[in-house]
Amino acid sequence: MIRIAFAGKGGSGKSSVSGTFARLLARRDRPVLAVDSDPLPGMAYSLGIAVDDHPTPDDVVIEGPEGGPRWVLRPGLDAAGFIETYASSGPDHVQYLQFGNTWGHFQTLQRGQHAWSQVVREMDPAAWNVVGDLPGGTRQAMFGWAKYADVLALVVEPTAKSIHVARRLQNISKAEWAPSWVVVVANRVEEDSDVEQISEALERPVIGVVPNDAAVTEADKLALSPLDHRPGPFVDAVEQLVGVVEATYDLDIQTPTNGTP
Amino acid sequence: MSAEQLLSSVPESDTVIVADLEAGIGTLTRLPEGSVDTTLVIVEPTPRSIDVGQRAVLVASERQQGRITVVANKVADGDDEARVRAAFNDHDVVIVPVDPVVTAADRKGASPMDVDPEAPAVNAIAGLASLLAETTGT
Repeated sequence: MIRIAFAGKGGSGKSSVSGTFARLLARRDRPVLAVDSDPLPGMAYSLGIAVDDHPTPDDVVIEGPEGGPRWVLRPGLDAAGFIETYASSGPDHVQYLQFGNTWGHFQTLQRGQHAWSQVVREMDPAAWNVVGDLPGGTRQAMFGWAKYADVLALVVEPTAKSIHVARRLQNISKAEWAPSWVVVVANRVEEDSDVEQISEALERPVIGVVPNDAAVTEADKLALSPLDHRPGPFVDAVEQLVGVVEATYDLDIQTPTNGTP
Repeated sequence: MSAEQLLSSVPESDTVIVADLEAGIGTLTRLPEGSVDTTLVIVEPTPRSIDVGQRAVLVASERQQGRITVVANKVADGDDEARVRAAFNDHDVVIVPVDPVVTAADRKGASPMDVDPEAPAVNAIAGLASLLAETTGT
């Protein structure tokens, strides 16, 4: 099993890459849970799942014990039960859990944050390959929202701004809770020098090179997954990325025990 | 100091402050009411971006963050423009065309104004600046 989170500058293509990655991994008969920790629906579009704004009931959590988290899942509801109840089913049997769907959008998200944290912390590592999509920028990643991940993939465009954000994000590798592998996925690449520029600026291995593909822009405008609209060079490159991850990690370590699609 | 702390604490003056907030609506939800005179909501003509923009408009309205103007960025054609205008029909919408000069500037790490001050996108943003200057009296 693998737990991988995608981060990067806003607009760098994290959601397109992560959503496509999740579905292609699932097509290899892997159980995949896609988790979007952005309170706004982004990954859903890339997965090809209808956006669902219905909030989860407030009584999913209760006040936590003194000295512990402020809110905890209510008795009888564990991480597996939460996922089974509140994850959406998507194409290719991907299960999708969105943080922002937990409590509605404009109320305080504090209760949801605690529930989310507990779910990703306690979910059975043998049950799911987890593919995460973090909000653009550095804030959430720096605050440890990707603690669940074994791999943090920085999605980087060949622009100074995108590289600048990635340089900051790669400092996560120094954190106590750092993912074991911080890697780079070069996105919207047009020429070899783009990859060289990214590679020289960052001190991490570039494990994926995703070309600029007009079909992805078209898919975005149509609210479709890149897999469902003229799949071409972009999809091929993400498929290669899945292969790299699959070759690096033994995804057959344990048989899924929970909610196998 | 966070952007919300800065914007809510800076004293009144003649200095114009232009803040580029993080992607999404996180900062907007934390920004104290009435912290700014004008909120520009930048959207691309995609359902995903429009979705975020609509939520940003709602938060900015609820929190009384001044006049709200929608900036439709990377607009390629009339369909793109119509899609954005239809989604924000209660608000002013300023159109910024998709422009290879901006892409080239991004790749160089340069300002689009320094690459080509007459580029269509630069002209559109200059028009937006003039509009804001007229309407806010700056």
